[in-house]
Amino acid sequence: MREITFLEAIREAMSQEMRTNPDVFIMGEDIGLYGGAFGVTNGMLEEFGPERVRSTPISEAAISGAAVGAALTGMRPILEIQFSDFITIAMDNIVNQAAKIRYMFGGKAQVPLVIRTPSGSGAGFAAQHSQSLEAWMVHVPGLKVVQPSTPYDAKGLLKAAIDDNNPVIFYEHKLLYRYKGNVPEEPYSIPLGVADVKREGRDVTIVATAIMVHRALEAAELLEREDGIRVEVIDPRTLVPLDEETIIRSVKKTGRLVVVHEAVKRGGIGGEIASIVAESEAFDYLDAPIVRLGGRPVPIPYNPELEKRAVPQVEDIVQAVRQLLNRA
Amino acid sequence: MAEEIRMPKLGATMETGTIGTWLKKEGDRVQAGEPLLEIATDKITIEVEAPASGILLKTYYGPGDVVPVQEIIGYIGEPGEVVPDSPGAVFPAGDEIPQPSDGKIRATPAARAAARRLGMDLASVRGTGPKGRIQKEDVEAAYQQLQQQVKATPLAQKIAGKENIRLADVQGSGIRGKITRDDVEAAIAAKREASESGESRVQTRKVEGMRKIIGERMSQSAFTAPHVTLVTEIDMSAAVELRKQLLPIIEKKTGFRLSYTEIIMKAAALALKLHPAVNASLKGDHIIFHDHVHIGLAVAVPDGLVVPVVQDADRKGLAELTAECKTLARMARENKLTPDLLSGGTFTISNLGMYAVDAFTPIINPPESAILGVGRIHEKPVGVDGSIVLRPMMTASLSFDHRVMDGAPAGAFLTELKQLLEQPFQMLL
Repeated sequence: MREITFLEAIREAMSQEMRTNPDVFIMGEDIGLYGGAFGVTNGMLEEFGPERVRSTPISEAAISGAAVGAALTGMRPILEIQFSDFITIAMDNIVNQAAKIRYMFGGKAQVPLVIRTPSGSGAGFAAQHSQSLEAWMVHVPGLKVVQPSTPYDAKGLLKAAIDDNNPVIFYEHKLLYRYKGNVPEEPYSIPLGVADVKREGRDVTIVATAIMVHRALEAAELLEREDGIRVEVIDPRTLVPLDEETIIRSVKKTGRLVVVHEAVKRGGIGGEIASIVAESEAFDYLDAPIVRLGGRPVPIPYNPELEKRAVPQVEDIVQAVRQLLNRA
Repeated sequence: MAEEIRMPKLGATMETGTIGTWLKKEGDRVQAGEPLLEIATDKITIEVEAPASGILLKTYYGPGDVVPVQEIIGYIGEPGEVVPDSPGAVFPAGDEIPQPSDGKIRATPAARAAARRLGMDLASVRGTGPKGRIQKEDVEAAYQQLQQQVKATPLAQKIAGKENIRLADVQGSGIRGKITRDDVEAAIAAKREASESGESRVQTRKVEGMRKIIGERMSQSAFTAPHVTLVTEIDMSAAVELRKQLLPIIEKKTGFRLSYTEIIMKAAALALKLHPAVNASLKGDHIIFHDHVHIGLAVAVPDGLVVPVVQDADRKGLAELTAECKTLARMARENKLTPDLLSGGTFTISNLGMYAVDAFTPIINPPESAILGVGRIHEKPVGVDGSIVLRPMMTASLSFDHRVMDGAPAGAFLTELKQLLEQPFQMLL
């Protein structure tokens, strides 16, 4: 199968939808001639024209309002917010409007909106352009939250997000854009709310999101090689809806759970996943305390070394697992 | 440091004690002074109190095990404290693991679930996880060890493992108590029946503790000592009158009410003094004629019977005998008798007069050689001086060990007793 990058997979998902569905269009800052801050929309202006690849003013409040309006009136807009940090400016439109309208109109109105937005640190963008704020969105009923980790998942999940009649926040980790993987050429959909077991194991379950899936897989490789510890890595892929069943089943098998995400640990999705497991029938199978690894509660530093230290790295995961199994 | 629980020395002559029932199980919290287990001596079962407060960490012996006095039979301490696996072993050296000081056990949910499933006690499991935390594999390892400690055939072990049967709970019927497949299958069937039937139609109770002691001692006596029982009827008219007159006096003096038991005991004691052949014990090849008269009094207690001993009954007056008999009987019913109060008897009186029992053949209480069984007193027509009159009659039965004495001396003793009771003023001689 052909290999393409995460970024290309996203572009392909959008382009394929736009070719078949005239209601789908994209809007965002610098997405036309410039191809977007990360080049995701490169070449799309040429194929689809400025009516469907709309460059917008630099106002997330305005463009998110426009996107919600377009969705309400029957279009299926894809809004690119240049950095997920800027979602703060679009917050009212997302949280108070997009998330509530379908419910408040008794289902007679709907907001089939996808907000794509790059998140995460590691690219030297400093405190205001490096955050992972997905837990905020998870907290709001009416929103779906997607966090793909591979090109294959990105393409399939984005199609599912576009097809969904609810607002979906689609997080794209900046460091994953250049990550390559096998992706089928034809369109396909990965249902929202189905986790993927990225690696099977029986000693410990790691639930990891986005870039952390890759760090967890790398850690798992090392742990198996050096310690003989067999790690199971689960990527929930969507935080809302969350595939609780797959996580619980895995913890029942391994008896140990480590949750890893880049977002600040305090108030992060890791606490939610840990609680779900503790409340579930997997409780009686837990053979060690649940461990969360997350970002430190600091603004992401600009200094590249400190930036690394602010969020979990492969060695942090390795160490956490070893401690959990008393092999440290 | 965990507190040792030792087999107590409850009497001057006690050399070993038999573990009865543990009233607490491993892992239970106990308070100092709280009843911890029952020890059976050759006379009674007695409750042993916890020497300290804490968690009962270890019990080395189970019901029926005979243990020398002063030997360590268990430990009380803080949760997770390490104690030797066997009573003789020393404390494992080093790696002291800090455990929560709040009395809780550090164990994972999976370990707790495994302990529930396998019937294991977490207090007896050594944790190998971080901070000494007990993990599932620790419970399973401890379970395996326990299973292996018990002698069982490989097949029995395999079946037990599959059916979650704790081999320690299975009674082995094989060579030297080895557990066989049949034993395990019986245990499985019992478990299944217990869970299916809910309530069983037949109540069963394990023969243990006092029941077991009585059974063993009575069988030993009945099947070793050739018993002969002599029976006589005693006219109690004078004794009834004696009691009537002395009762208020003794009650005033001691606070206890005189009963026929004490009058009979007094008479028996005096008769024994006059007939030393009956006040004797067989020891090996020798018959010991006691120079003192210590009379045991059979007292019914819940689930059994004990025989506290009245020392030197021949030298005590009725008031003193009344106070002593009543006090011993109360202590017996409250399970407060100590072994010293139960040993040294030379003769026993068993009084069933409170029931509608006229006569019975009592079994000798070894190592004594004779026992007096007393029936009820009730009015019977008897011939007196050529006419039939109603008299309060009582049947006395004397069982004696024919190895120690013959019918004549026993008959003479019983005759003496009859005369003393029919003419109680003779007791003043």
